[in-house]
Amino acid sequence: MRVVATTSDLASLAHAVTGDLAQVETIIPPAADPEAFEPRPSDFAKLKGASIVIRIGLGYDHWLDKLLSRHGDAAVNRGGAGYVDASVGVPLLEIKGSRIDPTQRDGHAHGLANPHYWLDPANAETISGGIAEAGILLAPQMAGKLIANRDGFLSRLKASLMEWERLLAPHRGARLIAYHNTWPYFARRFRLNIVDVIEVKEGVAPSPARLARLAAIIREQKIRVIVHEPFEPEEASQLLARRTGAAIVKLAPSVGSVPAASSYLALFDYNVGTLAQALSAASN
Amino acid sequence: MFEDVLAFAALPLTAAVVFTGIHTWFGLQVLRRNVVFADLALAQVSALGATVAVVAGHAVQSAAGYAYTLIFTAVGALLLTASRGLARSVRQEAFIGVLYVFATAATVLVIDRSPQGAEHVKKMLVGGILSVTGDELLKFVVLYSIIGAVHWVIRRPLLAASADADGRSDIGKFLVWDLIFYLSFGVVVTSSVATAGVLLVFCFLIVPALIGNLFSSHVGAALAIGWVAGATASAAGIFGSFLLDAPTGAVTVVAFAAALVIAGAIRAFITASATERSRNRRVGLQTGGLILSLLVGLSGAWVVIAPAGDHPILAAIEMATGIGPDRFMTAKERADYLEAGMVERRHKAEIDLLYDRERQSRWQGNELTADEIRRIGSMQQTLTEMGRGERFVVDYLRTRGRERERWYIGLPLAAAGLIGAAAIIRMARRAR
Repeated sequence: MRVVATTSDLASLAHAVTGDLAQVETIIPPAADPEAFEPRPSDFAKLKGASIVIRIGLGYDHWLDKLLSRHGDAAVNRGGAGYVDASVGVPLLEIKGSRIDPTQRDGHAHGLANPHYWLDPANAETISGGIAEAGILLAPQMAGKLIANRDGFLSRLKASLMEWERLLAPHRGARLIAYHNTWPYFARRFRLNIVDVIEVKEGVAPSPARLARLAAIIREQKIRVIVHEPFEPEEASQLLARRTGAAIVKLAPSVGSVPAASSYLALFDYNVGTLAQALSAASN
Repeated sequence: MFEDVLAFAALPLTAAVVFTGIHTWFGLQVLRRNVVFADLALAQVSALGATVAVVAGHAVQSAAGYAYTLIFTAVGALLLTASRGLARSVRQEAFIGVLYVFATAATVLVIDRSPQGAEHVKKMLVGGILSVTGDELLKFVVLYSIIGAVHWVIRRPLLAASADADGRSDIGKFLVWDLIFYLSFGVVVTSSVATAGVLLVFCFLIVPALIGNLFSSHVGAALAIGWVAGATASAAGIFGSFLLDAPTGAVTVVAFAAALVIAGAIRAFITASATERSRNRRVGLQTGGLILSLLVGLSGAWVVIAPAGDHPILAAIEMATGIGPDRFMTAKERADYLEAGMVERRHKAEIDLLYDRERQSRWQGNELTADEIRRIGSMQQTLTEMGRGERFVVDYLRTRGRERERWYIGLPLAAAGLIGAAAIIRMARRAR
């Protein structure tokens, strides 16, 4: 079986479910900005003959529709047994992304909801369920192995989740500023308060007036940490950090964004560990 | 907050003034040489060098990063120097264009090997003048002072070389001066593009020099005028971006363009000779009047032809006069129109309220269950759809209003605009 996932996070989850039953490939290279991704000719070849295609959905990997209609088999096109929209069944946040007045959108240029749902590890149960279901539909003889793989992964995830929650429990309600609106699912799971984001419109530099307002908010609310991602422009965050003394903490939004985040579980090991350390240092 | 505004503005403004200082001098020579896009080509060649450095595993600010950038810039400078020989058979600008697109395409190909490529390319275009640091500024001041001093010493041969830009002389005659010019130009542009971005550096280079040339053909006077104009436009751009709450680079580019328009107006209507002034005033009034008349006339005609379409000029007139499409509705339609607008606003507020409730629950009180989150999402979607329904009613009734309005407002606007345009054209013909 050959599985193609649009992102490294979905690929890692697919690998956890399929184990050695499938060859898993990713379209967006690790550490790249998925929202600025443009497919290349080699991606067409990946889709040809794929048994299962897994996507984030919600407009995040919108370019996949065109690729699938041209290069994918019917089974991996929308409605096919091998087509997995991982967002199905996930409790979505910030559905106001699709507002009545499109000029009033804030934070995200995406479609229906905030698409970074894989950053709540609890959602991995739903996502991996969708992947296992597609695998069982396509290869019923592998059902036992797929279910066992998924159960094993979920029990490791459960143990890790308890540990992650324990690590961040002392920082419940900690106030943070994020560069991009990537972290609402992560914040909900670990009870963090992301007060504001620096980049209000995707790809447009924040205005100086906005930065001055944010500096005032950071000082008034005693915010000590600015969450930043590896591929984001650092200038605005550094400027705010210099003005306010807040620390910039680089978190990985996806598997492979930093070398330490080598798998789905390692992604949270890295993010939770890094954030807990930064918040502890700030409170000291 | 005010302290923050000053702190955020002080360094970028100083940097902009420093950039204007050196770039105006280079801009004057670039205009004399007719190689306006040479800075873009050189900046792109140096960006290619920086990109190769990044892909090879070096930071742009490291010694290896600078070495890569400088070597590429030097090669670019050599190519531009050699291109003077081409000026006899083809325009040098065409060669510069080819160099620019080649360097850009090569950068894209090289960057394709790096995962964070798109961000790098965007940064080179837009820059980040807002976040310039004191240390960086000091480096610019030292570097530009040295280059400025060297250019001051050798200004005569440099200006002589730029005055002979059409390639009449033998290529060997100005080879050394051309090479010095393009090398120092490359160093300046490479350093400024990394901070201010390609768009803004193009403005620093060309606009003050153009303004200076508008008022004087003497290099010293043009330089002084360019400096004053550039510094003023920089200040307007940076403080304007605070007032408008918009990105600094883009607002500053617009401020430079506005400075050029204002300088052009001053040149045409104030400092020109009495005869020229009178002619310019006449031509200016006729052109302005013609554009305004055509805009009004075509807008009115568009209302008559397609009352359901977008009508930005009519909307501006409606806003200014308070006479909107609701004046042309029946009492029932007007009541529905106002109610639908109100309900739509209420739905928006309800969506925001739900959003705030969910956001607060992420860290306060009991965590909402997955089902509660789904319920909130479902309500937000429903309210969005209901809001769209109300928006549809508003749009439909507005179109009905505009269908009637077109005879009372659209037709007179079209007639007035087109008659005005015809009268202006006739007057202009008679004056000739």
